[in-house]
Amino acid sequence: MRVLLVEDDRDLADRVAQALRAENFAVDIAANGEDGQHLGETEAYDVAVLDLGLPKIEGTAVLRAWRAAGRSLPVLILTARDGWSEKVEGFKAGADDYLIKPFRVEELVMRLRALVRRAAGHAEPRIHCGKLMFDSQVGTFELNGLPLRLTALEWRVLSCLALRKEVVVERGDLLERAYQGDAEVDSNSLEVIIGRLRRKIGHGMIETARGRGYRLTAAEA
Amino acid sequence: MKAGHASLSRRLLFGAAIFITLALVVAGGFIGFALRRFITGQIDQRLDSQILSVASAIETGPGGQPRMTRDVDGPPFNRPESGWYWQVLDTNLKSRSLGAENLAPDLKKERLDEPRPFPSDQTGPYDEPLHLRIQRRHVGPSTVTIAVSAPRAALNGPLREAMTTLAISLGALGFALLLAIFLQVRLGLRPLRRLRSDLADVAAGRLERVPAEQPEEIRPVVAEMNTLLDQNAEGLARARRHVANLAHGLKTPLTTLSLALAEPGRDQDGSLRKLATLMDRRIRHHLGRAKAAAQDGPARAHTKVLRHIADFGEAFEKIYAGKDVKFDMDVPAELTVACEAQDLDEMLGNLLDNAFKWSRGNVKVSALEPGADAVIGIEDDGPGLSDGELPEAMLPGHRLDESVPGYGFGLPITRELAELYGGSLSLSRSALGGLKAELRLPRRTLNHAP
Repeated sequence: MRVLLVEDDRDLADRVAQALRAENFAVDIAANGEDGQHLGETEAYDVAVLDLGLPKIEGTAVLRAWRAAGRSLPVLILTARDGWSEKVEGFKAGADDYLIKPFRVEELVMRLRALVRRAAGHAEPRIHCGKLMFDSQVGTFELNGLPLRLTALEWRVLSCLALRKEVVVERGDLLERAYQGDAEVDSNSLEVIIGRLRRKIGHGMIETARGRGYRLTAAEA
Repeated sequence: MKAGHASLSRRLLFGAAIFITLALVVAGGFIGFALRRFITGQIDQRLDSQILSVASAIETGPGGQPRMTRDVDGPPFNRPESGWYWQVLDTNLKSRSLGAENLAPDLKKERLDEPRPFPSDQTGPYDEPLHLRIQRRHVGPSTVTIAVSAPRAALNGPLREAMTTLAISLGALGFALLLAIFLQVRLGLRPLRRLRSDLADVAAGRLERVPAEQPEEIRPVVAEMNTLLDQNAEGLARARRHVANLAHGLKTPLTTLSLALAEPGRDQDGSLRKLATLMDRRIRHHLGRAKAAAQDGPARAHTKVLRHIADFGEAFEKIYAGKDVKFDMDVPAELTVACEAQDLDEMLGNLLDNAFKWSRGNVKVSALEPGADAVIGIEDDGPGLSDGELPEAMLPGHRLDESVPGYGFGLPITRELAELYGGSLSLSRSALGGLKAELRLPRRTLNHAP
């Protein structure tokens, strides 16, 4: 899962990013509204965290610009103002959830996972695919009822496939959601990760759609 | 009543009335004086010519006694007791009208030397007030004093008649002038009355500023008023911006602080985190108060309820997307409350947030319009509150359930805001099974501004 964090306070942004990365998120930080708007319009994110009090372009304006450009990614707004007026403004601009500063990282992680899950069309937090179960709320995988240990990269690729199980996920899409914007991506690394995942959950569960991408499926060949 | 506080039109009318009355009284006095002189002059002429004809008819008899050569008693001198008399004083030569009586005026000796007849007002032989003309004349070798009289009534009658007519005309003139001034004042002050209604519209929030199309004389005043309004609005906007910046400026580092404290090993016993939470609560509370203080004032505010509730409905359906809550809304489209939009949002937001948070699947909003108030009822089908818990829910910082996120200021702040607008907040049991919050706010009926 790849998150765009638009927050002008360097300290806070770093701490939030650090905490999110510890929860297997890939995080890109934009320090002002202009950069945030640009990243949101050009890169693929699963979810965005948007501070409302931003320099250059206000948070709600960034959000409106994203929506106007047809970006439908779920957006959680961060606000220092308790006022409901600001929140309602945010929701009218297209926000999907909000948090008031100060907030707890656990709360933020929970909300982000819920947003991503709902955006993928899952009403229930637990996503089953054959013997594999992904608890999208807690962020854990189980295989045959036993916890599955994954690296951050593996987790991101598998969660992306799990959220869109039985559907072919484009290769580029997977790459974009697995790596942070500043990461050096080796063109073969995705194959390496898929290979490692296949060894952990069984070869049949991840199908290769040649030239297109991969599919997580319960119908093992 | 100080002059500075009296009504302008009363001042103008009062001043005009005093001046008009004064002018009319003075004019009446002058005209009356001229009339009296004119009428007296006419009578005097007649009396003087009688003196002449008496004098010319006197001759000195052989014994040196004066006597009449002919009858000079033309009417009215021949009518007895008519007041029209003549007599050569100290002789028996007199008009028939005197009968047996004599004219015996008090003579002012010194005036007898004047060449012209002099006037004298005295009481006659029949106790009637008389106007006399007296002259000493030389007839042959002797000197005679001739007195001629007319009844004072002959003077006063016409004078009274003329004066009555004069008074009536002057009175009518005065009335007409006052009426004209009254109309002029009303007409002249009409822009002021319009200005007043414009100002009332501004105060009630129906107009942003006082319209600039005004008569030349009050345009500067209106310009000043508008400047003042702009300054006021600007000051409010600045205060709000400061509050918002303060919120952002304090809370962003506070968030960083609590995130840092949450790192393992940083805050072993959790006491620092507690402090950070306390700071946050204090900031929240005082920012809420500051925001309430920076509001525009209840008198100007008017906000349509329906749109705000609908916006909230959409927002909360997203926020509580995981709960699948059915949101029912029965609110009249035109319902408008005398309340700032921001504050209405604050109150509705807190109440609806509670309702969605606790509901098991149903939230209902309804609105009634009893009398001058609007009552917005927000109900849920959650667990509700027991009779004992209901009053506690309104105490600041008191949360009945610590396990569900929230800050415990929602209900007290909502109540505080409602009371600020002259409304109230009451909690009771809902027919749905959960809590019913009733928010009572003063309604605003808009008479549409032009």
